[in-house]
Order: sequence, then structure tokens, then C-alpha cells
Amino acid sequence: MVLPSFLIYLFVFGFPIVLAIVLSLSNYGGGKMFGGAPWRITGFQQYLRLFTDPYFWNALKNNIYIVLISVFGQLPLGFIFAYLIYRKTVKFGEFWQGVLYVPAMISTIVVGILWSIIFSPYGPIADTANHYYADAYSAKISGIFQATGGLADPDALTGRIIKASPSTINTVFSDPSVDLKDFLLSYEPGDTATLQRDLVNLLAPRWNADFLSRNNVAMIPICFVTLWMWVGTYLLIFLANMQKIERSIIEAAQIDGASETQIMGRIVLPSLSKVIANSAILCISGSLSGFALILAMTGGGPARVTQVLSIYMYDKAFMGAPDYPLANAIAIMIVLFSLLLVALMFAFERRFGGKE
Amino acid sequence: MQQKPIRPGTVLGKAAAYIVMGVFAFMTVYPLVWLFLNSFKTTTEFRTNMMGLPIDWTLDNYISSWRIGAFDKLIGNSILYTLGSTIGITFFSLLTGFAFAKIKSKATGFIYGSFIIGILLTIQSLMVPLFLEVTSIDRGIGNILQSLGLIGPGEFRLFHNTRFGVLIIYIGSALPVGIYMCTEYIRGIPGAIIEAAQIDGAGYFRIFRSIIVGMSKPIAMTLSILNIPLLWNEFALINILVSETNLKSLPLGIYKFSGGLSSDYGKQFAALVIGMLPMLLFYIAFRRQITAGVSMGALKE
Repeated sequence: MVLPSFLIYLFVFGFPIVLAIVLSLSNYGGGKMFGGAPWRITGFQQYLRLFTDPYFWNALKNNIYIVLISVFGQLPLGFIFAYLIYRKTVKFGEFWQGVLYVPAMISTIVVGILWSIIFSPYGPIADTANHYYADAYSAKISGIFQATGGLADPDALTGRIIKASPSTINTVFSDPSVDLKDFLLSYEPGDTATLQRDLVNLLAPRWNADFLSRNNVAMIPICFVTLWMWVGTYLLIFLANMQKIERSIIEAAQIDGASETQIMGRIVLPSLSKVIANSAILCISGSLSGFALILAMTGGGPARVTQVLSIYMYDKAFMGAPDYPLANAIAIMIVLFSLLLVALMFAFERRFGGKE
Repeated sequence: MQQKPIRPGTVLGKAAAYIVMGVFAFMTVYPLVWLFLNSFKTTTEFRTNMMGLPIDWTLDNYISSWRIGAFDKLIGNSILYTLGSTIGITFFSLLTGFAFAKIKSKATGFIYGSFIIGILLTIQSLMVPLFLEVTSIDRGIGNILQSLGLIGPGEFRLFHNTRFGVLIIYIGSALPVGIYMCTEYIRGIPGAIIEAAQIDGAGYFRIFRSIIVGMSKPIAMTLSILNIPLLWNEFALINILVSETNLKSLPLGIYKFSGGLSSDYGKQFAALVIGMLPMLLFYIAFRRQITAGVSMGALKE
């Protein structure tokens, strides 16, 4: 009765792991595995290559960011929300829970593409900011026109416009004091409304936080979306387990005058310690496989700065010339890394976990 | 009696709690509403009117992205993959769970343990070796058959670019958790019932069919409810298992809209809505069961 499942299991988990170990120690270059170009075991070469590749460390670093935001962001937020609902600090618990769980039901691909549009330099955030900038700039320009009397005094007008648009003036005019004046004088004196509008279009400062394409910030949206997707799941798990706590314990504590922080710290947290540990494990393994989200949001770009280990592996195996031994070495590293984190988690739980 | 959850004088705390919850709920829902509304705008209108309601409501985005994405075919595939593997996962999990829980054997501990390890492994990290495995097996068998003169080169397919391959690998990837949950559940079924059936001369398969399946309906339900969204939304595995359009699933089709079509926002938004709508409807229909299932699935250690 166990045999069919076990065979499928071996096919899907067991054999690939063995294959990954073997190939990661080899120089297999693709093609036929048997009877094709000969390949042989070459030892730990691939791992050495991996450890000297700066992109590997970068991917590992990004993975650690995601693990950290997951464990120290999703879990605490989920816990706090669950607690607020559990203690009836907020009403309509079912509603909040129902709403916050929605992202977990949506395909990661959809979520990734949606947020990549939202964060893009042509997206709604940038658009709203640009509208705001343009309005503010337009007010400034019409103030200047009023103060200087418009085209009656072109030199004063030029000087003040240059002063009012420090971020854009040099990108539009190569020699602002001369070129801008020429530009202003090219308009009819009576046509200041058109001139003002054109100036706004030309010189209003623009939102330039192209989150997903700048090296130092591109991981922030990814971490944010990770949080966005999964807080509801942990809210749901924690809340369900809080509801299992005997009401009478909390009521007794309240009668004895326990404060809200005492109830949370002495009763709720300890009785959930095991659930929290399990959720952390779920969270760690989930965040290590965060492949589709990043693929859809940035594809690991720009210039590989948002690569995580799984994307790095995917690139090595399926993009450009395949480098299967290295990709398999990465697979083994991911497995080891996740087992290590889970072991750490267990040790932590054993050391600090509450008694049940 | 309704207990008083919070002391007087914490009105401020209460307001803060509402604000935090409100902000988060807003951040959750608003992007989705925004996406939905924008899917009815033309790309030209989107560029000038990103935040408002559509001025000219249009269904053109849906019509053309449905056609470009061949979504009727992809949704059909997704339904097949999701239902097929859900049934497979549930059946094999129950069968194996029954064996682990109720049939004593020396190997049980070891094999059960090896399944448990699978819970900790994320199958996505194994996608490269998995890809090499399926393609090599197909090529290996294909070469043998070809040398026997039975088929032409490259014609043989078993696991790669087949529906069967996707189903088997989906089933396998969900078995560790499924078997674990079923084993724990079936352990709770009283042994006396099974012994009584054995005395009456029923074999293990008979017992499984007539007793275990009937009594395990709740866990089978939970398992299916948990797996359906995961399978429907699965991307990483099917991305490497299938390259032919007529075998692809919905997420693969949606992903296509992030590449070359990415500046055509109208079609992209319509595709995204098509991508998320089925599971949102599923969620609305089964919210209680999903909620109960998720909290139960993570409950056990």
C-alpha cells in the first residue's frame, strides 16, 4: 500500500537529490547522460567555483533578507493582528481575517507582475507623485510670473525660474541663463498661460525612485510584497490557535488583575510557542523557495542584484549556456541552507520555548 | 457572558488598533481593486488616468488578452492539473496514511521518516535535477525504442512535456504533507473497528475502501481545500516541465504577459484579472473551509 506513494516520492524527491549531489561533483556538460559525451566526477570543484562567485554571495545575502523579513516581519505582524482580533480590541474579526488572507490565494505570478507595475517609474506611485510635483511647480511658476511681471522683465524671470527648478534645469538647457531666456522670448507676451503650462511640462521635477531598477533599493519592494502576501496566513494560523486557549485561564488572570501585556506575555505567547516555531519553519522554507515572485517582479535584475539562490540556479541551468554542475551545487546549497535554518529554529525553540 | 476584553481608558489604543488594521486591509484590497478597474481602460487612457475610474469602460482588453493568451486552453489545462493531482494526492495520502497508522511493519518507521524529511525540503530547490531527470529518462527510453525501429527520433515522451509528467510530479510534491496529515488523522480512528472488520474476514484493501475512506472525509476535504490553490497557482515546476503552449497552465500564460507585452497595460491588466479571479471565487465560496484547513494544516508539529 505504501509502495506506489513511495515510488512517486523517490521519483520526485529522492532521485533528484541523489542526482544533484552526483552532478554537483561532476563536470557534466548537458547532452546525453549515458552514452553521450563522457563526464566524470571531479570533486568539489563546483563548490569552489560557487564560493568564489560574488553573485552567489549576493544571492545568499538577498535570501537572508527575505528570510529575515519573513520571520521577523510576517510572524510578529501576523501575531499582533491575530491578538487584536482575539482580544476583541477590534471588532469584525472575521472580516479583517478574511480580507488579509486574500493575497495568499492569488498566484504569485499575478502578484509579482501587479506590484512590478505599481513600483515601476511609469506606474501609479510615480504618476501620483508627478502630479503632485507638477501642481506644486505650477503654483511656483505662476507666483514667479506675478512677482516679476511676466515677460516684461525677462532677465529677472529667467533668473528666478532657474532658481526654482534646480533638479531639472540643467537636463533641459545646456546653458540655462541664455537658452531659457531665448525660450521665454520665443513666446508672444500675451501668451503667458501657454508659456507657463509648457514650462511646467518641461521643468517640473519628476519622481525618480525607480525602485525595481536601482541597485541599492530593489530588494525593498520584494521584501514588502513578501510581507504583503503572507501576513494573513500567519494571522489565520495564530488566531485559530489562540482560540483554543481556555477562556477561563484568561478570565481568571483578569480577575487577578493581570495587565494586557501580562496576558499576552505570560499566557498567549507561551501557549503558542510550538505553533510559532512551526510557522517559522514554514516561513523559512517558504521564503527560500520564493522563486516565482522575484522572477515576475524583477527577473533577478537589474544586473542580477535581486537574485536569490533559486533564481541564480535557474539562470545557470536554463538561461544561456547551461551550467548544470554549478546549478546542482546551488540546489544542494539551498537544501543545506534550509535544513540549517530549520535546525537552528528547532534548537531555538527547545532553548526558549514555553512549557506546555 | 461577553467578557470585557479591554480596560477603560484604552480608547486611544483601540483607535490605534483600528487604524493599523484599516491601513493594512486597505493596502491589501486597494491594489486589487485598482487592478480590476484599470483592466477596463484602454492603454492610452491608463497612461493619462491611472488613479480614477475608467471614463470609457471597455471589454476589449479581455477579448484580446483572452485570444493572445489562449486562456480557454490554459484554464482547461489548469483545471485538469489541479483536479487530477488533488484526487491523486488525496487518494495516495489516505492509502499510505492508513498503512502507516494501522499496519505494523518493520519498515514503517524508516519510510515514514523519509517522507517527513520531504516536508522540510522545498521541491522548487530541486527543479534543475528534476528537469534533468525527466528529460534524461524520456531521452533514454526514446533512444532504446528508436534503435529498435519503433519510433522516430525525439518522439517519445513520458514525463517531459506531458500532462502525465506534470500530474505525477505535482502529486509527489504534495505527498509528504498529505501523508503526514492523513497518518495523524487515521491514527485517531479506533483500532477496534478495524479489528472487528478483520475478524469478519476483510482484507486491508477492503477495510480501506469501506471503512477508512468513509471515516476520513474531513481530512480528505481539508487536504483538497489546502492543495487546490497551491496547485492552481503553481509556477516554478510546471515552468520547467512543460514548454508547449497547449500543455501550459494559467500562471505560465499570465507570465507571458510580463515580457514582450509589458507596455500594453490594458491587456496585461486583463490577463492579471483572469489569472486571479478563479482562486478569488474559490476563496469566496470556501472561505470557512480554507480558514479551518490552513490553521489545521499548520497545527501539528
